Amino acid sequence: MRTILAALLLSPLLLAQQDVRTQTLANGMKVIVQEDHAIPNVAMYFFYKVGSRNEHPGATGVSHFFEHMMFNGAKKYGPKEFDRTMEMNGGSNNAYTSNDVTVYTDWFPSSALELMFDMEADRIRDLAFDPKMIESERGVVYSERRSSVDNSNGGMLSELAAAAAFEAHPYHWPVLGWPSDIESWTMEDLKSHWSMGYAPNNCVMVIVGDVRFDQVLALSRKYLEPIPRREPPPPVRTKEPEQLGERRVTLSKPAQLPIQIFLYHVPDAKNPDMPVLDVISTILSQGQSSRLYKRLVDSQLALSAGGGVGDALDPTLFRFSIAPRSGVDPAATEKALFEELARLQSEPVPDAELRKAKNQMLADLYRRRKTIETRANLLGSYEVFRGDYAKLFTADQEIEAVTAEAIQRVAQKYFTSKNRTVATLIPEKPEVKQ
Amino acid sequence: MKRLMLALALCASLGAQVKLPPYTREVLPNGAVVYYMQRTGLPLVSFRVLVRGGNESDPAAMAGLASVTAELLRRGTAQRTAAQFSEQIDALGGTFGAGTDEQSTTAYAEFLSKDFNAGLALVADALLAPAFPEEEVRKTLSRRADGLKSTKDSPGAAINPYYRSFFFGSAHPYGRPADEASYDRIRRQDMVDYHQKTYVGRNLIVIVAGDFDPAAAKARVTQTFGGVPPGAAYAFAAAPAAPKNSEPRVLLVDKPDATQTYFVIAQPGVRRSTPDRVPLILVNTLFGGRFTSMINDALRVTSGLTYGASSSVQMARLDGAITINSYTKTETTAQAIDLALDVLKRFHDQGMTAEQLASVKAYVKGSYPTRTVQTADQVANVLGEMELFGLDRDEVDQFFARVDAVTLEQANAVARKYYRTENLTFVLLGNAAKIREAAAKYGPKVVEKQARQPGWAGM
Repeated sequence: MRTILAALLLSPLLLAQQDVRTQTLANGMKVIVQEDHAIPNVAMYFFYKVGSRNEHPGATGVSHFFEHMMFNGAKKYGPKEFDRTMEMNGGSNNAYTSNDVTVYTDWFPSSALELMFDMEADRIRDLAFDPKMIESERGVVYSERRSSVDNSNGGMLSELAAAAAFEAHPYHWPVLGWPSDIESWTMEDLKSHWSMGYAPNNCVMVIVGDVRFDQVLALSRKYLEPIPRREPPPPVRTKEPEQLGERRVTLSKPAQLPIQIFLYHVPDAKNPDMPVLDVISTILSQGQSSRLYKRLVDSQLALSAGGGVGDALDPTLFRFSIAPRSGVDPAATEKALFEELARLQSEPVPDAELRKAKNQMLADLYRRRKTIETRANLLGSYEVFRGDYAKLFTADQEIEAVTAEAIQRVAQKYFTSKNRTVATLIPEKPEVKQ
Repeated sequence: MKRLMLALALCASLGAQVKLPPYTREVLPNGAVVYYMQRTGLPLVSFRVLVRGGNESDPAAMAGLASVTAELLRRGTAQRTAAQFSEQIDALGGTFGAGTDEQSTTAYAEFLSKDFNAGLALVADALLAPAFPEEEVRKTLSRRADGLKSTKDSPGAAINPYYRSFFFGSAHPYGRPADEASYDRIRRQDMVDYHQKTYVGRNLIVIVAGDFDPAAAKARVTQTFGGVPPGAAYAFAAAPAAPKNSEPRVLLVDKPDATQTYFVIAQPGVRRSTPDRVPLILVNTLFGGRFTSMINDALRVTSGLTYGASSSVQMARLDGAITINSYTKTETTAQAIDLALDVLKRFHDQGMTAEQLASVKAYVKGSYPTRTVQTADQVANVLGEMELFGLDRDEVDQFFARVDAVTLEQANAVARKYYRTENLTFVLLGNAAKIREAAAKYGPKVVEKQARQPGWAGM
């Protein structure tokens, strides 16, 4: 059977900038708005350009801890009131912290728009640092760490792997922070984190949904613009020295199955090699016809296998993870992965396979736009990591421009043994008790 | 992250009632029910196919049969090898997946609108003409068995099947999560027979949603699914007795390296079609279904014992369970469980205030549009559920009115009726040596299992 591979024709209208409008307030906060009146709801996202990369040893994890404290009371809306008031008005929220950013995400009926401006301005400007809330939230964060690291084999191995791959740059430490730092954060750490990272000129606000641009602008001027501009976070000066040899780390703990993580240093989100690496990730990992699925999962070597790279402000890591099947020597899965990477370096990807990967990525561009939440996140991420939200609307061209030659060149450049960190979880057999 | 994203906890708009968008429903001569729901804006079309039966239709000794059958649909068909099928789906930038819940198998595929015909042909090939090649069957079953080991390495994932098998027991279809032994018993022929019996006209619900040409779509879909043999609608067994404890029951699962204890507190609940469903959604959201819920407020916000505590109401064809779920460090196991029980008792005894009810009504309505009618997929999901459970469109169209109509008296009656404090089922997964004593507090005897052993609670 022959498979016909046609290029996807993206509807130009949909990839146009649609009705996205922006304004930078006098205090430097950037406002990005996309009106969408299909449902009477709004997604409001605040991207603060501060994350664990802006921390220092002794206070690692404080960005994430601060994110939690943003829900624990300010001047007008006291402890618990942000959530209570929001839910009482039909809204809900969450937030996330990464190496690079801290993002606050609000979802609510459009009737609550002004209330949300009032509450967000209150906590951005006048966050309270209640010692009692600090202590109870410390327990919450430690529980989060216990769930996602201490009692998660994958989480524990990831932390170890990143710490080995980055020796100097702050991506070395985990976003959640080292356990001893979690135990030691002080109110001063929180306050200095606020004054370092929470300047309005260090923030991008994205609103998608049932709003009018002029209405958002008026509310922004009323509630957000009076917050004074301040110094943004100091630049992160430390650059990771070039890695000059393979690094191997192991984690021995009780488990039934091993896990492997492979890390390669790659550039930051603005680098032109990144779309090429995204195509490589698709060829290797997306769908049951992908190279790693066929080579590792279908062949019965692994339960799962895949790799990719996320957005980052500084040079980051392309990460593969493999869950070897029981009885399979991790050396065998490792060898299979390295052979697949060598194949990318030595043979051009056939046209049909490249076309397939591009089609998958182009279709995903649509899938990622189904909801107001995903669109708000995309617009904000493009603005912060690529420097311009409008790059979202030319993402299809970036994908189309990737050639087989570029894939070979990029694979040769980054997927080298010297540039690699290999982390392996080795299951410990339990002591047999009679 | 401030909190784990619960799988879309029920939540909604203060404004006018949200209505289902226009759709058409048609019954083909062979009994297959087809829905068409047009939604322009994105050039995507999805096919959602439901097959009645689901995990309930697994033979008692072959738990997982319906689910493995679903997984294998795409792994070799009459016309395509597994590799060809995957090449073609991926080449279109399409997706295809299938899985089961308590009462149905759902296959879901999505394509660009321009690939409507090619996509539908792939969907039909997988659903109607799977070949179940011996080699693929063997590989899938063996991978599933290893998957169980991986699940047991992850305490947050493992607690759920332990709880289900312990609470419902193996005599109940909800109490038989697939395990090593059940996978070992499944043969290729079982899948062939299961497919032949259940993937039939009277048992199919097909939902086409997204951007498509209605006339052309109708002709194509009718031709594709109209030729399926009518067969018989799946005859669900009479409801087995719902679990009823005559005393509290406790299961302790030992994972010696765990540094926190995961726990579930379960009690009998309702079925999806219960007339109490709207008040119960409100009551559960208030008790354990949102960030400021009583349970999360007590265990997380006020005491810092956990990153998350919640409660959920199983909404399936048969009477299910109402559960409290959380985790805490090993040392505070009893403190956290005691606190959860205190909150439960207070809720049962004192119920809620008018202000709390008003808040939870606003909350549930406020996010309802984002969860129910925002995307074509969400609407397709609602239509499938309506058909499967025999509900009508008022389920959505009248939802706000039904929420508004719930009185404080009704809500408190529902709280008293379902949130009971006696004869509960407790499942704890953690370091048994350190929490054995705590576990013993909650029932007259403690059943113990090792997370390394095959099987679940295995009663």
